[in-house]
Amino acid sequence: MDEKRDREDLPLEIEVSDEDIYEAMKDIQGYLDITPADLKELYKLAYRHAFSRITTSVRAKDIMTAKVFSVKKTMPIQEVADVMAAQGISGVPVLDDNGKVAGVISEKDFLSSMGAKDKTHFMGVVAECLKGGCVALPIRRKKAEDLMSSPPVTVSEETTVTEIARLFAEKNINRVPVTDREGNLRGIVSRGDIVHAASFK
Amino acid sequence: MLTEYLNKMKGTTKSPPAVSLSEIIWSWVGAFLGISAVAAISYNLLDRTGLTLIIGSFGASAVLIYGAVKSPLAQPRNLLGGHFCSAIIGVASFQLLHPYMWLAAALAVATAIAFMHATRTLHPPGGATALIAVIGGQSVHKLGYLYAIIPTAAGASIMLAIALLVNNIPRNRRYPEFWL
Repeated sequence: MDEKRDREDLPLEIEVSDEDIYEAMKDIQGYLDITPADLKELYKLAYRHAFSRITTSVRAKDIMTAKVFSVKKTMPIQEVADVMAAQGISGVPVLDDNGKVAGVISEKDFLSSMGAKDKTHFMGVVAECLKGGCVALPIRRKKAEDLMSSPPVTVSEETTVTEIARLFAEKNINRVPVTDREGNLRGIVSRGDIVHAASFK
Repeated sequence: MLTEYLNKMKGTTKSPPAVSLSEIIWSWVGAFLGISAVAAISYNLLDRTGLTLIIGSFGASAVLIYGAVKSPLAQPRNLLGGHFCSAIIGVASFQLLHPYMWLAAALAVATAIAFMHATRTLHPPGGATALIAVIGGQSVHKLGYLYAIIPTAAGASIMLAIALLVNNIPRNRRYPEFWL
């Protein structure tokens, strides 16, 4: 688990101070014949075990959002934007005529097709807009298939969370559609889903 | 390398927090009743038969089973198993090696610890029970292996019964954590 992590990845370790451990020992009634240092060591090891258990045993189907919005690849880009805005999502799978996942459209794809100099940052687009006219206008006639990232990065329902986290980091993406063998959309896993999977229940 | 070795002697952490007043009181009550039970039976009933129900190591057991009730060392498996096994090892050491008392004493305690570890019955007072079998004098020696039953196993069982009764009275205390 030494791939590059950013702030949305799972915490490999939670920083627990000696005082936290000491206070926790006080919370438990009665004499514990263990030193705070040993208890802290135990806690860290247990956390690491839980971490590896969760990340190796939890699979896409366990954490994915099954009720997922999608768009047709022939959908005008304006309608795609409407769907994303209405649902409050920052990315959506694009389906071909047979209902298979053909790509993914995210905010990033919008931004990079709008001709901003710094193509993947919202503020870059704003800056361009302020200099002269809205850069979104030139793409209004386009369709979903023109903007989508394709071929799509997808995972199966059996892909482990570890593997998905690695994909997120490697491909620098924030969500990945879950498909069955035929390529039919079964759900979607976002970075947030992984963080939830790692939190103790 | 020597500094590294010596540095280990400085310690790395602090003492666990103090227990509450109620914990102190219940430890006292449990120990008082537990030792009362074995001592009263021993002095009032068994004395005239030449037997006893109390040995020094029960003082140490009382610290654990009434004062540190959550400790793995204080659980019934450890209390009974530790005392019983150690008593047998102690008696065997004395009977085999009594011409060399220093060796019998050392072997009794060391073997008792190893055996308790191996059988997951580690109970510190067991070491004293093994030692007493060697250094306890005539009254202990003449019991032979009976020492493992009376006073050791019988006394420990009574102390266990008191621990079960007393340690479960306070709402935030329970005993045992496990049996086997």
